[in-house]
Amino acid sequence: MSFLEKLLAIDRRIIFLFIAIAAALPLFFTVKLHIEVTPIVNNVYNALEALPPGSKVLLSMDYDPGSMPELQPMAESFLRYCFLRDLKVIIIGLWPNGPIQANIALEEVFKDEEVKNRNPQYGIDYVNLGYTVGNEVVVERMGSDIPATFPKDYTGNKTEDLPLMKGVKNYNNIDFVYNLSAGYPGTYEWVIFAVDPYKIKLAAGNTAVQAPLVYPYVQSGQLIGVLGGMKGGAEFEIATGKPAKAVKYMFSQSVTHAVICFFILIGNFAYFATRKKKGS
Amino acid sequence: MRKITISLLTIFLLTLFVNISFSQEEPLPPSEVKASDTPNDNGHSITVTWKLSPDDGAGKKNVVAYEILRSDNPEGEFEIRGVAPAGESRFDDKGAKEKTDKNYLPGHKNFYYKVRAKADKTFAESEVSNPAFAYGQWYHTGKTTVLIGVILFSAFALYFINLARKGKKLFVRPLAGIEAVDEAIGRATEMGKPILYIIGLGSADMIATIASFTILSRVAKKTAEYQTPILIPCYDSVVMAVAQETVRAAYLEAGRPDSYKEENIFFVTSMQFAYVAGVNGIMLRERPATNFYLGKFYAESLILAETGSVAGSIQISGTDEIAQIPFFIAATDYTLIGEELYAASAYLGKEPVLLGTLKAQDWGKALVIISLILGALAASFNFQFFLNLFRVQL
Amino acid sequence: MVETIGIWIAAILTLGIFSFLYKDNPFYKFCESLFVGVSAGYWFATTFWQVMMPKLVDNLAAGRWIYIIGGIFGILMLLRLFPKIGWISRWSLALVVGTTAGLYFTRYLVSNGMVQTENTIMPIFVTGNLPQTIGNLVIVVGTFCGLVYFFFSKEHKGTFGGFAKVGIWFIMVSFGASFGYTVMSRMSLLLGRLDYLFGTWLGLIK
Repeated sequence: MSFLEKLLAIDRRIIFLFIAIAAALPLFFTVKLHIEVTPIVNNVYNALEALPPGSKVLLSMDYDPGSMPELQPMAESFLRYCFLRDLKVIIIGLWPNGPIQANIALEEVFKDEEVKNRNPQYGIDYVNLGYTVGNEVVVERMGSDIPATFPKDYTGNKTEDLPLMKGVKNYNNIDFVYNLSAGYPGTYEWVIFAVDPYKIKLAAGNTAVQAPLVYPYVQSGQLIGVLGGMKGGAEFEIATGKPAKAVKYMFSQSVTHAVICFFILIGNFAYFATRKKKGS
Repeated sequence: MRKITISLLTIFLLTLFVNISFSQEEPLPPSEVKASDTPNDNGHSITVTWKLSPDDGAGKKNVVAYEILRSDNPEGEFEIRGVAPAGESRFDDKGAKEKTDKNYLPGHKNFYYKVRAKADKTFAESEVSNPAFAYGQWYHTGKTTVLIGVILFSAFALYFINLARKGKKLFVRPLAGIEAVDEAIGRATEMGKPILYIIGLGSADMIATIASFTILSRVAKKTAEYQTPILIPCYDSVVMAVAQETVRAAYLEAGRPDSYKEENIFFVTSMQFAYVAGVNGIMLRERPATNFYLGKFYAESLILAETGSVAGSIQISGTDEIAQIPFFIAATDYTLIGEELYAASAYLGKEPVLLGTLKAQDWGKALVIISLILGALAASFNFQFFLNLFRVQL
Repeated sequence: MVETIGIWIAAILTLGIFSFLYKDNPFYKFCESLFVGVSAGYWFATTFWQVMMPKLVDNLAAGRWIYIIGGIFGILMLLRLFPKIGWISRWSLALVVGTTAGLYFTRYLVSNGMVQTENTIMPIFVTGNLPQTIGNLVIVVGTFCGLVYFFFSKEHKGTFGGFAKVGIWFIMVSFGASFGYTVMSRMSLLLGRLDYLFGTWLGLIK
């Protein structure tokens, strides 16, 4: 067995080990990477900046703990941004775990000194309407009646009694929708069932797996912009001037990517070299 | 000397005053304010249009916004209904449809509008508009293209389903993944190992899941004939029920109802990665000869296919979840890419409805291809008429 | 105290699942079974408290009897536990499948058919703008050949086969991009766990 053949038959555990080291080691170092905000993320930021203080934004949390590393930093950076800009946040979830993720994110955001000074109040500055069953039907129904779709909030208060929800009937009373999505139901359902029929302004944060799927909707103008994976999250943090978790992970992410690229290159080199040898 | 100073001061103050009054000067009002029902809606909305004030962006350039006022009496009191930024000449006065709502805008009742051009501290009001009332429309003219699309596609579907029912052979090109199915089942029989069939994470109403059921029916019939066990771990309880039904029917059709084992089609859990952990365990313990991954798959696709490949199984995959196809291509032996999954189910099932709709889709695609070519030409030579055909007003 | 115990349990279970990367072992199996069991239980509890109670029981208690229809269809679904009358459950399935299909038909046609086609129709030649011309050409040719690949009524031979081949190349390139994104996703998940192990659990990362 030649060296190249050995390389091709390399025990996958060795690769795992390399990746583990490449991912773990950089976590211990603080390296400032230059992160450029791409137009697709900048669009989201600009659209948010254009909202006057007091605007009502809907945050749809459509993921569960499985996608936390990617989407949780996005939830946190968005909530932090909204509180500092005095945008009123209405949280819902199309996934049963979504509203719980939102509560975890809120807890984290409230540790921020600047947010503490603003002292956002439940019911006035933000509400968590919880989860309701029905997937895309929920999105559709909110177009005619949000309080009827979510009659009670996460803790059981009547939605109508929450000061923030006064005058919120349907999408006409929502200025911006932000969707964090890890699959179905998610961004796709929001585009089909809310953007096109009700003309809402929608931006989304997606897991990197989902992101390429929703890019065509940005090109067609059905979606304002997309935060794709942790990189998108990091870009948004940079845009808002508050680098946080996603930015922190970027160095590790870059190193692991470099290691993976290296393995792909030598793997392909070995593959083609041995094939050529066999062929001749 | 003092007199001069005073007169100079007076002149100075006067100029100042003139300046102030100049900046405080009223803008010219907007003109030609017209009100009419907002088209293509369910009523309860009136559209107001006006001609910009001559001081909006030109003249004194002091208009900052327009306020839109409404009253049900041209001589009565007007209330502000909304604000439009300078430069804008249209406003939809959207009201609520419920009588109990504060914002209720009754249909078939006349309203009058005025538009105020607002400067920094002053404003100028237009004349009162014509009366207008809101009413709902039964037909949304902006969606005519959609209607044509629906009619065309339905007509294609009905036509081809009818053809298929009459027994006309409809050609579907062969797909590599499908031709491998029989071989894969044969291999499992030779090895005396079970077949693992995974329907994915979709619910029973998803097209990919439905396509998977059709293919499952064919696979199960073969496994019944060869007496090879088939294991189906499920993510969704409804999917599990349908899968049991499908396999039972297939065994019955193969004349082996006694070999059907309901316990082989079981529910694992509805948590994505917990499900993966469960199925991975099955793969490594049972070492199935063949794994099928057909249906809706998300992030678990690579983990499953990778484990199956480690376990040495032949793997046939197919999903319409585009993000997952690359992993299936990389880690399995045969992959049905996107729509090929539907095509495979039509091809195997030989169901007139499936075949017919597949054909209809093909013709739908042909239409899109033609419009794409014509459209690209029209856009290159700027034929607006043709381009407008595709514009959907939502 | 409670939190510390929680962190320890989570960390040990994470290591247990990671141990699968080395090879299948009893510790992994234990973690796996625990995960499956806990999540099934959690799913049941969530469904009961977030769906059954607020959507059915509360509504009925408040006298909104229309919800009884949904309830009945739900009960019909359970009839498959009794093989003899199991077929009745198909009515519920029919309701779900039919409603979804109806809901999607026009919406899908508009959002994915009309609006997307409208946005793919673009001038092939943009005078004086070479990058734009190339960009538009790639989109138009890619869409055209991609559609040809998914045309099932004709075998891929001759010129038609040539277009299909170009189509599959386009599709493969997009899959490559998609693959890259997913690798990024997976690495993010790994980073999340490692950060938990070294940061939250061991306190080595500040």
